[in-house]
Amino acid sequence: MQTILNAISSAAIIAPAAVGFTLLFALFRFANFAVGALMTLGAFACWTLNVPLGLPLWLAAPGGMAGAAAGLWLADRLAYAPLRAAGGATLLLVSIAVALVVENALRLGYGGQIKGFDLPLSRPWLLGPVRIAPEQLGVILVSAGAVAGVMLWLGLSRWGRAVRAAADDPGLAAVRGVPVGRVHAAGIAGAGALVGLGGVLAGVDLAIEPGLGWALIIPVLAAAILGGIGSPMGAVLGALLVGLAEEVTALVMSPSYKAAVGFVVIVLALLLRPHGLMGRELVRK
Amino acid sequence: MTAYLVAILTSAGFYVVLALALNLQWGLTGMLNFGLAGFYALGAYASAITTETAGLPFVAGFAMAVAVGAVAGLAVAGLSARLVGDFLAIATLGFAEIVRFLALNEDWLTRGPRGFPIATRPIPEGLSREATAWAYLGLVAALVIVAYLIVERIRTAPMGRVLRAIREDELVPAALGKDVFRFKLQAFALGAALAAAAGSLYAHWVQSISPDHFTTALAIGVWMSLIVGGAGNNRGVLVGATLVMVILEGSRFLTGVVPGLDAESLSALRIALIGVLIVVTVRFRPEGLLPEPRIRLETPAKGA
Repeated sequence: MQTILNAISSAAIIAPAAVGFTLLFALFRFANFAVGALMTLGAFACWTLNVPLGLPLWLAAPGGMAGAAAGLWLADRLAYAPLRAAGGATLLLVSIAVALVVENALRLGYGGQIKGFDLPLSRPWLLGPVRIAPEQLGVILVSAGAVAGVMLWLGLSRWGRAVRAAADDPGLAAVRGVPVGRVHAAGIAGAGALVGLGGVLAGVDLAIEPGLGWALIIPVLAAAILGGIGSPMGAVLGALLVGLAEEVTALVMSPSYKAAVGFVVIVLALLLRPHGLMGRELVRK
Repeated sequence: MTAYLVAILTSAGFYVVLALALNLQWGLTGMLNFGLAGFYALGAYASAITTETAGLPFVAGFAMAVAVGAVAGLAVAGLSARLVGDFLAIATLGFAEIVRFLALNEDWLTRGPRGFPIATRPIPEGLSREATAWAYLGLVAALVIVAYLIVERIRTAPMGRVLRAIREDELVPAALGKDVFRFKLQAFALGAALAAAAGSLYAHWVQSISPDHFTTALAIGVWMSLIVGGAGNNRGVLVGATLVMVILEGSRFLTGVVPGLDAESLSALRIALIGVLIVVTVRFRPEGLLPEPRIRLETPAKGA
């Protein structure tokens, strides 16, 4: 039981960012490695509002989301947009470069010390055999709410439909009168906010430091690939499975290998089911 | 000052060999390998274990490193060469991280994060400090020359033509009856073996290796050498690697000059600068400083 709860709470941290990552892949067709660094950016933006400026966390969190979205927009303007025509491999490389710039700009600005949000110390609740900390429950609820909200937005609203159309085939969508440029901007804002939220949630659970993103990008990527890259629902399922795999490995192996689990999941998923659990098979020549 | 220059040139040599290996894999064949640091580490540890734990001479360690590198390259490429672009990149990145985790956690074999001291030396004992440094530089230079000749030879040989064709569009050489999968395996394994050879020599030069020596930051430096220098062009790779070395080493002197810049923020600034340079190069000069030479088509002799 405790293992399942721990798995759900690690899944809650990676799910929003995995959905953001997969949304970006669907719209722009490249694996954006800067997502990890943007999570760190979101965590730092939120920390700035929360600790030095003294805002409560529920008010600071939207600031973190806005920070990550602004960072993603800027990266898109300066680095990705001029290279839209280049292949996925070039953009992947550029996104790693962007991740390095963001991470080290944060290190320059904030220094390398570990930071944490201003949270009241609390005693974990005991529910039968299971221990759960109030923050943990908060992380799970916020994450589930955000992911469900995005699903509803994508599935039901006009804008959500436009985003899905632009992801399927931008040319066709444009012909049918979808303003693809504005849809891309909406996608960047939405994905950036999700990634920032993921950073804030990670900041609640883990220590905030500039290298935070490198530890997070692998499980996020694993969740997105396992679930079927480009499929938001799959990313959520993938996040749950990656969380479970991490916790189960920690039971049987030295916990220092926890971080390698994501990679093993990625490699296995790519070899056995390259289009993921819920993705469609990409048509290749 | 001379000692410092010799040391820099030696460490630049390892960079150049890694960059040449990557040029074979990515510059010519178009296979994204973000796991170069993993093959480098594998070579270093294979060599260290052979010479220190098993007590064999340097030559055996070097041979072991090359063999392990080639086998690991075959395995990684064989498992993932059918993956396209991005996904191969992610799989190779995963390989490098797993090598690093193994080196970090399997203390009995690799002596973990405390580092693996290496006493065996590829050069005769009893030389003066200076002569030793020069001898190492000579060995690295020899490795650079061998690697350059191998990669340059492949580039100009018929095999190089097939590799470039694979890079541009796999279907074309496949339609002409070339075994694309086998060519990819060969190019990847050879590049991995070169990286492992560099790792072996590196291990016996620094004389103490730990997983910290083989991070993604190192791989990014090598990637930058290629991108800035000009992928596909071996001379461009030499220029790029030298430039990266000048930036990495030269910025060390900024600490005394610019006020308020400590070692930590300097290294952050340095890595951020590398990131900016990659973005700027890809955007404004994607072919690099020295572009890949265009292949001249044979023009029929005039008046024939």
